[in-house]
Amino acid sequence: MSNLKPLIKSLQQYLRIGDWLVALISLACVIWLFQTLWSHEQAAKVQIRLGDKIYGTYSLNQQRDIHIHGSTGEAIISIANGQARFAQSPCKNQYCIHQGWLTLAGQVAVCLPNQIALELLGENKPYDSLNY
Amino acid sequence: MLRNAFFLLFFLLTSCAREPLYHSQSYVFGTLVDISIYGETDERARQLADHIQQDFQSLHNRLHAWKPISTGKPSELQQINAAFSQANQTIKISPDLAAIIADATVLSEKSNGLFNPAIGHLISSWGFQRDEFAVVNINEAEIKNLIHAQPRMTDIVIDNNTVYSKNPTVKLDLGGYAKGYALDTAANYLRKQGVKNALINIGGNVIALGKHGDATWRVGIQHPRQPTAIATIDLADGWAVGTSGDYQRYFMLGDKRYCHIIDPRTGYPAQDTQSVTVLVPPQAINQSQAGVLSDVTSKPIFIETPKNRKLAAAAFGIDDFMVIDANAQIFVSKKLAGKIHWLIPNVQFKAID
Repeated sequence: MSNLKPLIKSLQQYLRIGDWLVALISLACVIWLFQTLWSHEQAAKVQIRLGDKIYGTYSLNQQRDIHIHGSTGEAIISIANGQARFAQSPCKNQYCIHQGWLTLAGQVAVCLPNQIALELLGENKPYDSLNY
Repeated sequence: MLRNAFFLLFFLLTSCAREPLYHSQSYVFGTLVDISIYGETDERARQLADHIQQDFQSLHNRLHAWKPISTGKPSELQQINAAFSQANQTIKISPDLAAIIADATVLSEKSNGLFNPAIGHLISSWGFQRDEFAVVNINEAEIKNLIHAQPRMTDIVIDNNTVYSKNPTVKLDLGGYAKGYALDTAANYLRKQGVKNALINIGGNVIALGKHGDATWRVGIQHPRQPTAIATIDLADGWAVGTSGDYQRYFMLGDKRYCHIIDPRTGYPAQDTQSVTVLVPPQAINQSQAGVLSDVTSKPIFIETPKNRKLAAAAFGIDDFMVIDANAQIFVSKKLAGKIHWLIPNVQFKAID
């Protein structure tokens, strides 16, 4: 850590008050962006689970339909425009379809009868588990 | 200079190493079971999680209200219900199930009967005792008869290792109790195994052990009408959180939503509420535990009329709760308002004193 002292000294030599101001404003900007965007992070990937296994993890940066054979029949998961959703499901109540498009990291859609779960993944997990 | 930069980079990179977090999901109790274990090797965590899941599955099989374990073999609970339907007919009962019934009876009394696991016949009349329910024809006469017959937990008499019901219309459905009980069982098991840090979620009932590394376990609270979390709550060691909603088991008839939470006073599904979340601190031994309370206490608040919600919570000593009512208005108890982190910008809510 003692190696840092000369570094700081040399910084003080070259940086003027305006530079410090720029640095300070940038820092404030980063903190502000962090606070506003942290909880609502756009997701990068969707993880699909079938029963107790991870079926696959897919980039949201593509247009694709994924066909999966669940415990009661075939379901279709659609990926498009950075979002994912249940597009087709053999379940009776269609709650999973009604969930609609998932866009943000941490969002979850589950089809209990067919035992398929979607979870959007981002850089950070906004919570450890979802109380649905 | 360059060397310093490398050192710095090195320290930053070490913090990116994979954390010792094991995570598994499975389907038990007709819902999603989500187990996180922190600070154990992957192998040991997997064994512990498998054990918990097996325990859950066996409890599920024993307590299932309508599904036989295998063809022609009713569950322990179904056998007891069969005996109950013949008034005063005694049947043998295992000690843990007797303790469950005794505890559920105390809680039912505390709730003035708004939490009432004895109304299995009503729940089945509404078609909710099915894996995938469809719109039912509302059988008004049957509902009226069942309300008139007043099946109550206090009709059940436990005597040593036998049990009987004084009222033949009592039919146990532990749907509002078993998941919470399973949480307590799993938490006790993990503690006995020396596990310090874990988070167990059974379909919206969550209990925490220890922490997630340096941070407190954080639970997202689902929005009842959108596929997103509305807020997060931090769960300290031994705390539990439970949410009851009208969005996981319901059917629509015209524009009207009929959810699985039945008001035992009217026999009809509760209509005033979209969801209720309760936060429960660790409890003293020899009384209902945090997991059970996280499951049970949300129901009376869900069913109760708007002006009595606070009383319904107070009956169980619940200080931290949130209600989202049928008009999507959010009410948060003053205590919980200080602990909740909103994920939706500019959220409007009313504090309840």
